[in-house]
Amino acid sequence: MWQYEKKLQYPVKIKNPDPTLAKVIISQIGGPDGELGASMRYLNQRYSAPCREIQATLTDIGTEELAHMEMISAILYQLTRNLSIEEIKKAGFDAYFVDHTTGIYPQAASGVPFTASYFQSKGDVITDLHEDLAAEQKARTTYDNLLRLIDDPDVRDPIKFLREREVVHFQRFGESLRLVQDMLDAKNFYAYNPSFDK
Amino acid sequence: MTSEQIKLMKKIQAASFALVEANEYLDTHPTCPDGLEYFRRHKEVCEKAKKEYESKYGPLTAAASAGTRKWEWVTQPFPWELCANEGSDD
Repeated sequence: MWQYEKKLQYPVKIKNPDPTLAKVIISQIGGPDGELGASMRYLNQRYSAPCREIQATLTDIGTEELAHMEMISAILYQLTRNLSIEEIKKAGFDAYFVDHTTGIYPQAASGVPFTASYFQSKGDVITDLHEDLAAEQKARTTYDNLLRLIDDPDVRDPIKFLREREVVHFQRFGESLRLVQDMLDAKNFYAYNPSFDK
Repeated sequence: MTSEQIKLMKKIQAASFALVEANEYLDTHPTCPDGLEYFRRHKEVCEKAKKEYESKYGPLTAAASAGTRKWEWVTQPFPWELCANEGSDD
């Protein structure tokens, strides 16, 4: 089970609201490579992991992703506080505003709502870990793109923290893949999971 | 929140982060003596800071609400508020 702690994993302190930034950052909660998809991917995949090390890795990284979702939501919340209708119109935030006011809703920057089709749970640990490695790189690229679009240091700071976590998680999933390949069959050079058919 | 409270919160955030990082590392290196030592050291710092924070300002988890007259969980801001990240006297 889970227990909530009343703290962000890393502080979010944005002095100046700016809905134009919220429009693109929202992809990191509800977009194809966002934190909600990441969390759901790992927390659903963990049941078919064949050893405790990988069950632990998927549980603990999947849990950390929930904390990242909260950080992104805090960024969006602070970027869209105290807006006037004029500011909303000028920023082109009106399309979001009409459906959600300034509530937090998981969608991609393009407006497509979050969908479970952004991730897989294949029941094959080697297949799943390859997806997880790719997912961490895709999220890292998304954060790189956000850093190319954002100048405000208050917003860049927590985004840079989140980007670094993608790099670390990629490392942990690489170790997980090495562990499971050694464990299943040290001579299995083709990296398929033979456990189901044996 | 006051800058004193923010300072203590940042100490908890730093120590908790060290624990998350060590936890994930130990998941794939469960017998690494340096990793185990690192985890133990930061766990001590983290628990001490959390205890001090909760005694001064209020519970970090709902379960730590122990008041007899007031449900303390609702007395402190939730962390997405700007005021939970910025000292009011800064």
